[in-house]
Amino acid sequence: METEIRFTHKAIVEQCKAGNSNSQYELYSRYVDAMYNVGFRFLGNVEDAEDIVQDSFVDAFKNLDSFKYESSFGAWLKRIVINKSINYLKAKRIPVVPMDTHEFYLTDEEPVEAGATDLDKVKKGISLLPEGYREIINLYLIEGYDHVEIAEILGVSTSTSKSQYHRAKKKLLEIINEM
Amino acid sequence: MDNFEKHIRDHADQFNERRADKDKMWAKISEELHQAKPKVIPLWKRPLFRVAASVLLLLGVASFFGLSVLNNNAEKAQYASKELMEIDMYYKDLVSYQVELVKNNKALSEDNKAEFLSFMDELDAEYEVLKEEMQKNLDNELVLEAIVSNYKKRIELIENLLHLLNESKKQDEDDHAYTL
Repeated sequence: METEIRFTHKAIVEQCKAGNSNSQYELYSRYVDAMYNVGFRFLGNVEDAEDIVQDSFVDAFKNLDSFKYESSFGAWLKRIVINKSINYLKAKRIPVVPMDTHEFYLTDEEPVEAGATDLDKVKKGISLLPEGYREIINLYLIEGYDHVEIAEILGVSTSTSKSQYHRAKKKLLEIINEM
Repeated sequence: MDNFEKHIRDHADQFNERRADKDKMWAKISEELHQAKPKVIPLWKRPLFRVAASVLLLLGVASFFGLSVLNNNAEKAQYASKELMEIDMYYKDLVSYQVELVKNNKALSEDNKAEFLSFMDELDAEYEVLKEEMQKNLDNELVLEAIVSNYKKRIELIENLLHLLNESKKQDEDDHAYTL
């Protein structure tokens, strides 16, 4: 069954490579909601999310030849959306408070996890995080990347990714516990 | 990974709560895709170019060998036509000289002259046809033979005429002797 699904998928991608716009629309329909949610989580508003996702699909269809089935099409497309989102945020980012200055808020005690199982609270908490923290929490917890991948996406070292994530998580739990 | 992380990762799909404005976004995407410049494929990667290149190469090789063969032929042809031209010139001169002789000969009657010249014209016409045939088909021995026999006919004709002339002269002389 698994192989069959992959095969159908490959057929659609191949048709898209050949420039078939019906197949492009089919592929778009399958992934647009997921990609829109990824974009929205990073960018935090509808307009930016729509722009980035549109751009990502256009880029993906134009550069489909460079997609060699090393991952699923969805994973490939998601990387495009995430890279574009992060680049967009970087370009837009007013050099606000560097992340280190948040440190004094943080204690070494692990915040209690109680109440953190309420997903709505978690969602709200994430939206309240500073931008850099939100990025890394999204990448690790929700998009499911490991620290090696995150380091690559953010252009930092793996250990930086780990330490940043831990700070971000502490902050998130604090926020949730205060709710 | 602690329980919190596990819990979130396990429910990550519940974070996809938003719906995209699918049609609006697709309209923009397809607009961009159709505006997009045609994909640039390097010249040497175009299939058509490969075909064209092979055809060109083949043509090149073919024409190289073709030319060398043709050159050989041309040399032969030149050689043949040089020989032919010499023969042609020789006969042409001979014939035209004798035709002049006949024309200027007062001993011949106008009828005889006209008959002889009309024969010569016929042979001339035939000769032109043969010459054209010769240019089309240089190696044809039949044509060559026909040209030679054409010339021979003319010469024979002229010889006959001269013979006739001499005969009449002899008669004249005989007559003369007779009167004397």
